[in-house]
Amino acid sequence: MLRAPKSPRLLGGEGGVGQERRPGTPFLQRPGVVATVFLAPFLVLFFVFRVWPIISAVSISFQDIQSIGQGEFIGLGNYQSLLDDERFSAALRNTAMYTGGTLLLLVPIPLMLAALLHSGSVKAPGAFRTILFLPLLAGLVVVGVVFQLILSQNGVMNAGLGLFGLPSLAWLEVPELALPSLLIVAVWRWTGINIVYFSTGLATIPNDLYEAAVIDGASGFRRFLHISLPLTKPIILFVSVLTLIGGFQLFVEPFILWAQQGGVGPNRAGMSIVVLLYRTAFTNFQLGLASAIGVVLALIIMVTAIIQLRAFGFFSRDETGSGRRRRSR
Amino acid sequence: MLTKSVRYLRILVMVVVLGMVVAACGGQSGSDTTSAPDAPAETEAPGEEEPSGGGEAQVVDLTFWTFVQAHADFIESQAADYNASQSDVEIRIESTSIDWDDMHNRLLIALQSGTGAPDLVDVEISRFGPFSRGEVQLHPLTDIVERNSENLVSERLAPYMVDGVPYGIDYHLGAFLMYYNTEITDAAGVDIDAIETWDDYIEAGLKVKEEVGVPMTTIETSGGFSLNGLMLLNGGGRYDASNNRILEDPANIEAAEFIQDLIFEQEIAVAAPGTHHHAVEFFESFNAGGSASLWMPQWYMIRFPENMPDVEGKIKVRPLPAFEPGGAVTTMGGGTGTAITRQIDPDKVEAAMDFLEFAKLTYDAQVKLWTVLGFDPFWLEVYDDPALQEPDPWFGNEPVMASIKDMLDRLIPEYTGPHYAEISARMGDVMAFDLFVDQKPAAEVFAEAEAEIAGME
Repeated sequence: MLRAPKSPRLLGGEGGVGQERRPGTPFLQRPGVVATVFLAPFLVLFFVFRVWPIISAVSISFQDIQSIGQGEFIGLGNYQSLLDDERFSAALRNTAMYTGGTLLLLVPIPLMLAALLHSGSVKAPGAFRTILFLPLLAGLVVVGVVFQLILSQNGVMNAGLGLFGLPSLAWLEVPELALPSLLIVAVWRWTGINIVYFSTGLATIPNDLYEAAVIDGASGFRRFLHISLPLTKPIILFVSVLTLIGGFQLFVEPFILWAQQGGVGPNRAGMSIVVLLYRTAFTNFQLGLASAIGVVLALIIMVTAIIQLRAFGFFSRDETGSGRRRRSR
Repeated sequence: MLTKSVRYLRILVMVVVLGMVVAACGGQSGSDTTSAPDAPAETEAPGEEEPSGGGEAQVVDLTFWTFVQAHADFIESQAADYNASQSDVEIRIESTSIDWDDMHNRLLIALQSGTGAPDLVDVEISRFGPFSRGEVQLHPLTDIVERNSENLVSERLAPYMVDGVPYGIDYHLGAFLMYYNTEITDAAGVDIDAIETWDDYIEAGLKVKEEVGVPMTTIETSGGFSLNGLMLLNGGGRYDASNNRILEDPANIEAAEFIQDLIFEQEIAVAAPGTHHHAVEFFESFNAGGSASLWMPQWYMIRFPENMPDVEGKIKVRPLPAFEPGGAVTTMGGGTGTAITRQIDPDKVEAAMDFLEFAKLTYDAQVKLWTVLGFDPFWLEVYDDPALQEPDPWFGNEPVMASIKDMLDRLIPEYTGPHYAEISARMGDVMAFDLFVDQKPAAEVFAEAEAEIAGME
């Protein structure tokens, strides 16, 4: 039988932070003071490197800064100009399509592959999982350079198409193929890690359920549909949100694939919001506008993630235990 | 049980450690906060006397950022020559070569934050715009330019001028040239020396297409050199001499329409393989005789031995055809100006200016631009130097620099302005594709570009 600890100082019981302290405790031994000292390194760093830049970015987004050392407060001027900015709408469209594409590809495909591995019908699933995971270990810049070669006119991709008698495609040269090129890179790189996430979720499902379903005559597909899918809902949600955030933060892949063009791709078809932000800030040195793009991007990610969480029922009671409200009560 | 004093001691140690951590995180404030890893710290006070050779020389340490290692080597070599040429000042260059994009970004941040910028820096022409806006954070180079103005091709100073004040000294003239693959033109029976106007060029192109079956030239569809070269040659450009934007100038629209005709009407030009003239696909194509000619600046010469070795000896360099008989036959493309930042210690400015003049604006320095870097000088007399008269076996065994000299009186300068960088980006991102792939009307393309750039002001 466990006993309640005697030392309130250790567990924040009597005399803990925010509670009445024992009379006569020296100042430097007061739990509140000690906790503050321990938390201070994190809080200081968090404030300096996270909170302060966010506050600065929001502040700069209300200014017109186009030359060194000079700025002028223009209120919502930068946000208004974004509304009419053809580049911003192109970048937003490209990024939204890329994010949508990754959600469509990087959630169902890894889930099905993970279910396949989990079903036991694949020999050496560990080796399979490792091979799929390996792309994640390669640096993104290396991946970009390699895919620049793979997708070039004389690259491996066209050689592969040639084996099937298909014509070569100018993957990186025509606007219509810019998004598919980015998605090919994304699928190659992120499928493995998503399989690992889903495998973890599937491993937590009691085997009894599958055995009962087999006895009831359920096919492999029905077992996946009625057991695996509902019970991995929290993992699906987790992977979806990660994919969403990653999609909106797209930068390195287009920046390397179309390095000579500053990451925008043919006729700006590969330009993501972050690429636009980067170019606005550094090539054009319009720091106010760039900060406004950053703030809008943050809002877009936040709102989309909330919609996604709501759609998955994250904020409501459910039977899987993923509902925050239920757990917090 | 711990005594009170031990507890106090522990807490004191904890606070000290915390303080050290915080100090370590923010400890760079006095030096280089722009995280330029290789930027050396000042090791001694400016003007500090230090023995050099046989006498007392004033040692001046200068930090130098560039994005081309060859430029760093050149400046260091010039510093050695400068020190050998006199005994009053010893220049010590601490050069750092950083990736193009990264270097300009760091420079902007350093100048914006007021600390961390180098003393000398290379600024590429397409990134010069932001540095020219507002209060220019570079030192005026008026004195050293004026001292040498009668010798210089003054047009080369134009890109780095703001309100008539020069802020950068280039490494080359960057004259636009036509590079002919004579194996192809000879096979087609084309005499490249007979090509004087663009009409002649089109006629030759039709012959090449018919006889050899390859296009006469290639056009960049994700870069601005093909377009900008002819815009300037036709009397247009992005900015005029007063730094006013002239994107919708009829000369620009005419030039773009002319290139469209080469592609879609005469069909003697095609989109460059890989979309630009620095793409691997283009190098492979031109190396294999995929097209008969291309127009690019002089510095593109050094790309041939590096990337297109099979055309050795077959390439001959000629002026661009003129739009009208007797008209301009070359203009300028690209460029990198060496500048002195305002963050330099005031005590070092004079020495830095003197060194920059020695390194770039002397007869010997200009000869070295060709003999060491392979670039065309912008000092008139230098073109008569024996070193520039030597035939180049790689380029048809002809003295290429002698040919350039003949073009200098028919040279159109390029001017820059505050949004030059954004226009460059727009040209490569959208305009070249719209014009030469989608065949959009040129007037519409330039109007859209002007609207976008105007929206940034």
